[in-house]
Order: sequence, then C-alpha cells, then structure tokens
Amino acid sequence: MERRNSMARTPLSSVVAPRRSRSKSYRRSYHSCLGAASYLSLTSGLTARRLTTSRRAPKSHSITEKVSPEQLALLVKKEWQLSYVTPLHQFRHKQLKSYSRQLQAFIVAERQQGLAVGMEGADSSFRVSFSVLQGMVETDDDAESVFVQIHSKPVFAGQEKPMRSVWSGWLACISGSPDYLRSLPEDFVCLPLFCSSGAEWLTSLVKSWFQRMFDCCFGPLEINTTNLEWLVALWTNCHSEFNIQHLKLMWTLPVVPPLEVTYTLHPQDAWELWRSIREDVQDEEKTEGGRDTMAKDGGSICIEEVMRFMQALKCHFYRHFRVDLSTGRLDQVSTALGSAKHNGKIKISNSSYMITTLMLLTECALLKMPI
Amino acid sequence: MATSQNSSGPPDLDSSSPSDQSACSRSSNRSLRVAEIERRKNEAEDPFVLALKYFSDVEAGTPVTGNDDVERNLVAVERVAYSKGLPPEAISIMLEFAMSLRMGTSPCVRVLKCLIPATVVPQEAVVRAVVWLCVGKIPLSTQVLFIKWVLTMFDMIDAKDQLHSIYGFLFSFVTEENLVCVVMILLHCLRLFRVRKLLDLQSKMGRQPFLMHLLSLYKVFCPELVTLSLPSRMKAGFRNHNSQWKSALIAVQKKNSFQVTSSVSLTVRLKDKTNPRKRKHNHLEVPALSSAVNTQTNPSSSRKLVPLVQLHSFSLLLENLHHIELPAQMGSLLGSSLALQYLDCVQDESAFLRLNFWLGHALHEEFLFCSSGVSQNSEEVLQFLDRLLSSQHFLQEGFSSTEAFLYKFLNIWDGSLLRPQILGMLSNIPVVPSSCIRQLLFEPLMQLFFTSTLFFKCGLIECLNSMLLKWLTWHSVYALEDGLDISLNSHTSINMTLSGFKDSLMELVHFVGRLASVGLQIEGCHSLLLSFILDFYETVCDMFLKYGLPLVVMPPAGVFYPALFATDPVSVDRLAHIMYRYKVNLMSAKTQEKQTEQAFHISRQTYREFNHYLVVMVNCLWNSKMFQPGMGVEMEEELLVSSKVPQYWSSFDFIHHPAFLSYAVDFHHKCWPGSRNVDFNSIKHPKPWGWYLEYLYAQGFEGLKQFVQSNISRRSTAGDGQGDGLSADQR
Repeated sequence: MERRNSMARTPLSSVVAPRRSRSKSYRRSYHSCLGAASYLSLTSGLTARRLTTSRRAPKSHSITEKVSPEQLALLVKKEWQLSYVTPLHQFRHKQLKSYSRQLQAFIVAERQQGLAVGMEGADSSFRVSFSVLQGMVETDDDAESVFVQIHSKPVFAGQEKPMRSVWSGWLACISGSPDYLRSLPEDFVCLPLFCSSGAEWLTSLVKSWFQRMFDCCFGPLEINTTNLEWLVALWTNCHSEFNIQHLKLMWTLPVVPPLEVTYTLHPQDAWELWRSIREDVQDEEKTEGGRDTMAKDGGSICIEEVMRFMQALKCHFYRHFRVDLSTGRLDQVSTALGSAKHNGKIKISNSSYMITTLMLLTECALLKMPI
Repeated sequence: MATSQNSSGPPDLDSSSPSDQSACSRSSNRSLRVAEIERRKNEAEDPFVLALKYFSDVEAGTPVTGNDDVERNLVAVERVAYSKGLPPEAISIMLEFAMSLRMGTSPCVRVLKCLIPATVVPQEAVVRAVVWLCVGKIPLSTQVLFIKWVLTMFDMIDAKDQLHSIYGFLFSFVTEENLVCVVMILLHCLRLFRVRKLLDLQSKMGRQPFLMHLLSLYKVFCPELVTLSLPSRMKAGFRNHNSQWKSALIAVQKKNSFQVTSSVSLTVRLKDKTNPRKRKHNHLEVPALSSAVNTQTNPSSSRKLVPLVQLHSFSLLLENLHHIELPAQMGSLLGSSLALQYLDCVQDESAFLRLNFWLGHALHEEFLFCSSGVSQNSEEVLQFLDRLLSSQHFLQEGFSSTEAFLYKFLNIWDGSLLRPQILGMLSNIPVVPSSCIRQLLFEPLMQLFFTSTLFFKCGLIECLNSMLLKWLTWHSVYALEDGLDISLNSHTSINMTLSGFKDSLMELVHFVGRLASVGLQIEGCHSLLLSFILDFYETVCDMFLKYGLPLVVMPPAGVFYPALFATDPVSVDRLAHIMYRYKVNLMSAKTQEKQTEQAFHISRQTYREFNHYLVVMVNCLWNSKMFQPGMGVEMEEELLVSSKVPQYWSSFDFIHHPAFLSYAVDFHHKCWPGSRNVDFNSIKHPKPWGWYLEYLYAQGFEGLKQFVQSNISRRSTAGDGQGDGLSADQR
C-alpha cells in the first residue's frame, strides 16, 4: 500500500490549470495531461526515488537562533499525533485573533449542545489562542507555522484557579516542495503537517472547525518504515555533536503470536558503525569518479547509506538471535533527540535538530496530498 | 433537484411516444371500451369503493361499538392502504371522516394510522383537517398524531401555498406544551420565520433540541436575525417521521415502484441517524450544504451575497447568478444538481480546486490509504461513487482528482471491486498525452485485461469505446473555439496541438487493437467480445465524418479476420458496415484533400491497408477466391488439398460461409421446393444469385447491402473508376 501512496510526489498541476474560457474543458484536459506528464517523469524511477534520496545532515544551531525559546518550549517534550491537511482556503495569518474567537465560540457551542442563551459562564470556560511560530520556516515558499492552544478551567474549580492548557496543536510547512507550493493559487495556504496533542474530542472539534472554515481535509499521517529508517540515520548522525544516549528500535514481526523486538544500541557503537558505512560509501563514490563531490562532503546523507546502516544492524541481530528483522515492520525509533512511531506519533525531546525531522514529515504529508 | 435535471434534459426524448400511443389506442379502441365497462362493473362491487362511499356518507353520531359495517369497511380501506396505498380522493374522504369525529374519537386514531398515500396527499384535505384541529374537540394525543402524520407525509403533499398561509394557525400551537415539539418540526418544514417569538420561547423553555434545530435552520436563511452561536452538529436531528408510517410508505412505494423525490433534500440534509452502525472512517460523507462562515467582509463591495443554500430552483439561480456565495465546503455541491449547474458556469479556479481536494481526499482515504478494506461498507461506497458519476455526467467532464486517483488505483485494482463505477470513472478521464498514456493507462489496463474474465474484457472495451467517444466529442466541440480565441490561449502556457491530440487518439485506438487481437485469441473469438470490439470500430471508422478529425485507423488483422470468419452472421454484417463507413470516410477525406489542397494528409499506408482488406473481403465473400497468393490468409496448396475440403476456394463465399450457410439452405428450399438434394452451385447463376442477395438483405443484413452496393458493380464491364486504387471488383 505504502508504495502506491507515495507515488504522487509532485502535485498534478492539472487542477491548478486556469479554467476560465468557454473552452475550458478542452484546455483543462490538456492541462491535466501536462500535470500527468510532470508527475510521470518524477515517479518513473525506482521506488527509492519517491522520497528524497539525499538529505542535509542536521545542524544544531539553525533553529534556536530563529525561533524564540518560549515557543520552542511549547513544541518539545510532548507527544504529537500527526495528520496531514490539504491546503487551507482563505486562511490569513493576519486574522488569527478573530480565529481564536471563532474557534472558542465553536467549541463552547459544541460543548453546550442545545443551549444558546442564559449561560453567561459558558464562554469563559474555554480560551483559545492562535499564534504564529515566528521563524519556523526553512524557505521563502513556506508559510509561517501556526500554533493553537486551548486553555480550560475544570468545571468545579474555583474562580481563583488559573486556566490550564488542555489541548495544543500546530500546523507547519518546513521546506515543502517549492513546485507544489508555487502551483497553488494565492488564496490557498499550504500547511500540510498538523500535530495535535490533547483530548481526542477537542482534536476532532478543531479539525471540524478547520474543515468548515477553510474547506480543507484531514487524514492520518503514518510514518512508514523507510521514513523511520531515515530518522534512525539522521539522529545517529547527530551523535558527534550531541549525545543521543541510546538508539532504541522496535520491530513487530508477523508471526503468531506477534513478536515484538526491542533493539537498543549503545550510542557509541551505533555511531562507529554509521561512520564506517559513511566512509565506505564515500570511498566508493570517489573511486567511481568523484561525481557530486560537493554533496558528499559530510553535509548530506544518501539513501544508500541509510539502507546499508539498517542492513548492518539487522545482520548483527540475525547473527545473535537468528531472527531476520527485515521481514518485520519497524514500529518505533527513539533516541535522546526524540521518538517516532509508525502510527504517526512523534515526540521531540531536543529542539536543536528538529528542523530536519520536520522536513521529513512535511515531505510525507505532501506525499499524501490527493492532488 | 430532479425537476431541474429534467428541464435540462433533451426535450425530444419522449416526443415519439404519444404518437405511438395514439396509434396503439386506435387499433385497440374497441377492446379498451369493453375493458372500461368491465372495470366499472367491478368497481361498483369493489369493497374499497363501497367503503369509501360509506365513510363519506356516514352520519354523525352513528355508534361504533357493535357496528359491523364500520369494521368491515375499515378493514377494506386498511387492506388497500397497506398494499397499494390510498389514492388522493380516498385520503381526502378518510381524513375528513377522522378529523370531523363523526363517529367519535376511537376510529379516528385507527384511520389516521392507515393513511398511506399511493401518490400524493391533496393539500385541501390537510387544510380542512387543520381547520378541524382548530375546532378543538380533538384529544391532544390525536392532535399530535395528526401533526406527526402531516410531517411524515409532508413531501407528498401536492402543493404547499395554502399551508404557508395557515402558518399563523400552526404557530399558535407552539405555546401548547405538548404539541410544541411536533409543531416545531412542521414549522421547520414550512420554513417561515418568526424568530423573535422563538427566541422568547427559547429563553422560557431553555435547552430544547427541537427549538435549536428550528433556530439553526433560521440561521441559515437569515443569519443576521439569529445571532446565537449554535452547535454545528445536531446529534438527534429531527426525527421527522413515525417509523411505522415510514416503513409502510416505503413498502407501498416500492410496490408501486416509483420514487418520491424529497423536496427537502437540496436544502436541509436531515441526517438519518437511525443507522446504529457507526462507520469508523466516514471519508465518503458528503458534507452538508451550509453557507460560508469565513466570509471576508469586504467593505468595498456592498452587494449582498446570496448563499447557495437558499436557492431552490433554477430560475432563482439565474436571478442571483452574479452574487452567489459559495458554500463553506465545496464538497457539498456534489449532492445537488443546481449547485453543479452553478459551478459549471462560474469557472472559479479555486472553487474547483477546493472541490477536487475534498474529492481526492475522500477517494484516497477510502481506496488507497485505508488498510481496513472497502468491502464492508460497500453500500455507502456505491452511493458515493454513483453520485460522483452522475455529477460527472451532469458536467460532462471528469474531475481532475478522480483522474489522479485512478492512475494510482488502477495499479492495485483487482478488476472486480466496484467494476461498473470504476470503469465509469475511467471513461470520463480527459485526453492523456501520448508521451505518458502508456505508463498511466495502458500498462495497468493491459495487466488487468489479460488476467481477467471475459466479462471484464467486454466491460473494458466498452469503457475504452466511451472514452474515445468523449475525447472525440471534446475535440469536435472545443477545437473550433480554441482556434478563435487566441488571447485566451496566451495565458495557458501549454496547449495540446491537433497533432498531439491525434497522437493520443492513435495510441488509444492502436492499444485497443492490440487488446482486441489478443483478447479474441484468448477467448476463442467469443462473439460477445467480438461484438464489443466491433462497437469500438464503429466509432473509429467514422472519426473523420462524424467528429471532423482527420484520422483514419484500420483495425488490425487480429480483429478483421475473426470478424470476417465469424460463425454468426451479425458480426460479418457489422464488419461489412464498418468497411462501408471506412470507405465513405476515406472517399470524403480524399475529395476534401483535393479541394483544399492543404494540411491534413491520410497516409498512403492507410489506403493500402483498406484496399487490401477490401480485396480480401470481396474475394472471399463474392468471388469465391479464397486462399489465393497475395491475400492475407495463405496456405500451402498441398495442405489445402490434403484437407479434402471440396472447392476450398469457395468455402467462405456468401453461400458456404459458416455464418450464411443456413440462409443458403433455406433459400434453396424456397427456390426449388421440389428438389431433394441441395445443389448450391445453382444459386451461383446470375439470376438466383441476385435473388439470394435480396433474400439476405431482407433478413436485415443492412451492412452487407451497403457493402455490396458501394463496392461491387454487377455490370459486366470492367473498370476501376474509384480512384486511388479503391477497388471495385466484379463478379
């Protein structure tokens, strides 16, 4: 399934095709052809090509300089449930205040089903705030990330008790495909990655409010094995600058009863292995003729290295336990930097390297776009 | 919804039927009259008619208990009501009887319960009943029952103008504590506004769901009056029907096999929450049509925008065409043809994009991302896809999101899941450029085709035929416009040229040719498959004349020969017709080419192929010169001799061809009734040969007739006057 899902890595420009003249259908059909063509040219390669085959190695300093520490603190140390969102229609970053009010009214109304008047206290039991996560972008095409927080007061709490945060969520686009972003008309804002944390009923209320307001759709975003493997490599690569403390991998093997394997590595061992593989691959590249030397100067990581690293880890496990992990599904990855689960839950423990992770997730979310 | 669709449909559809009917009725006038008399006689004795007469005439104050007449007549009415439903006049009579309390309250309830209309409920009857209601003698429970009945049958009341005028009376019942709930719903249906009164009531009675519903409805219509914040999802909804009546009504309607179109469906989607099974993933739920909340208040434009929700008819749509506000969620448009009509004329790029995002998301989530499989909720899926397809047919084009979806879905489709719907969507996809048509369409389809049943093969060929037809129609409609409108072309960066379009089309035709050749081999030249393939070539052979596309593609040998040697005469006849149409198209292309001396050119190769096929066909069917060197089918002389078929060269002529042999035998019997042994050679003499042909034409082989008449001149003079080697062989 996953293979198919990620096939459309580039948006079809067909939909964006102007449809103005009377002869729209004809022209539209031409356009969709064009869209199909560009879509085709990018998917015709190997399956590996559907994802970026090479990524920049994470750099620690980039984010903390741009985003204020208070806002970063909101994002870390929480487990986020991931979703993808289709582009928002008529979303304005300037109207966040009014959105706060409207979402608040919406939640109150939903909460007090059937009650419209005579509930003076109802409005004040929830407080919603929208804010911009200033600086949480990578390129000029990215829209500014938006953070939503819902505060509430427990029903039986006294007047003096402060409100506490019961739900938070944010929408982001970190280094989204420029082709896709530019193909959208002006009245759409693309923030494909939606992270939420809090009560399920609030999540679904917020989602349905967004659906009504901005005519968008939400869908679950899983992190498939390939992407988890990418995270393993990207995080391990940070060990030289930041002690990742442990590298923990969890597999589920399709046997009856299902077998769960937790595989924890000492960070230094993982790092040694990773470094040797990097050197190997780079040596091979050099002997092949030194193509693309700029990209291989340690600044980027390619899919081959990731695959070899994972292969080496699995071989090691097989040698000791005679269990072939490649038949199973990688379910969870965690280090001191954060953890990610197959079912789309992610936790960022250290903000220093989060941009790279978010870039990967934005890419996954964009792959899920229907058009 | 249905009416607007009807009005937009072709008006000449049923023009032929009245004349047929009249002709029919003239002939059977007498028998009808007899039947009418018979019917009247039966009617006079029909217990139902008698019962109605009884109830309309019965005097007030007649006792009920111990009265067998009432019981018998009531049973008669009930029987008809539950089996066929009551005709309008019966409804009037029974309602009048019940509400006037002529025989007290006890039969009243019973009568109300069996008032199942067969077609419509006359408005006057309802109005009269309301009048009785106002008299105030009826017990409260019966009043409630009556109003519930009106609610259930609301969509079937034939007119509503008078009901609207007695709105005030109904509104007065709002204050009646027990009635309030049901009256509310009735008011809801009538859709008139007395917001203030309701708000007063609301403050008095507090949280009453029905009040909220009514208010929410008012909010849709007049948002400026209702400023309350209302819950968006009404859980309980209006349970606006009594399930007993509803089920009886549905049963009756099913029996009478006609669909009542709900007048409320466009505006208020009363969600039927009776379905206890809750879907885990409801991607396929079409959102309710609701006005946009997110309107950007633009001070410069003082024009008042009308939400699409408020428009109920096509004329209203036309009046407000320039200041319509799109709904909050574009997906809701899929449910209403009125909205689609609007969508078709606005040409709003982002509106289409919104619709496509929603649609694509729904399709992807349901079919591609959803791991739980589709089969369990096939009912909803089916409904959704049918709605999508009818929208696409309505707009006469496919949505680009379905196109993108299909390219992915074809790769994982098993060819049987929702086959008609998927093939229907597939046939709607717009022209695919020749550079990628292979990977996007042909490869997945080829795999499906060769690994599936005969039935799927036929379905696919049919689907590709209708795809070809749609492409050709697009071309013939829009090609001219595009040529005229140069300024519009400039902003679309890419335009497909005519040659590009021709390339795509050629690819498609060749692809079907390949499929057809191999398919026929695999299925042993199955005549059903052959028939679908010939359908396709009937479209192909007329591309030039019917659609103005200068392209002629001949069928491959793998299609031509199986059709020529088919064992059923229909296939041979259709092949002859197709060859005739090819000839007409080629001839007119040739003359046009000579006249205009410009541009298009049909390659020599096509003429050569056509001539070759023509020669083969004429030699085989007419000249009895099968298996001659230079023809498509060649065999070693020795092999043919060793097969011991006498006169093998004539074994596929009009007489010996397996498809026509039985006709030849029949003809021989008719010509020479006396002769005991059949001598086919006697048919070959010029005179009986002519008769034989006439006989074949008389059997309905129009294609053969066209073919023979256009290609074979039966004069004995030789000549080849057709030009460019279009051969005219003679016997």
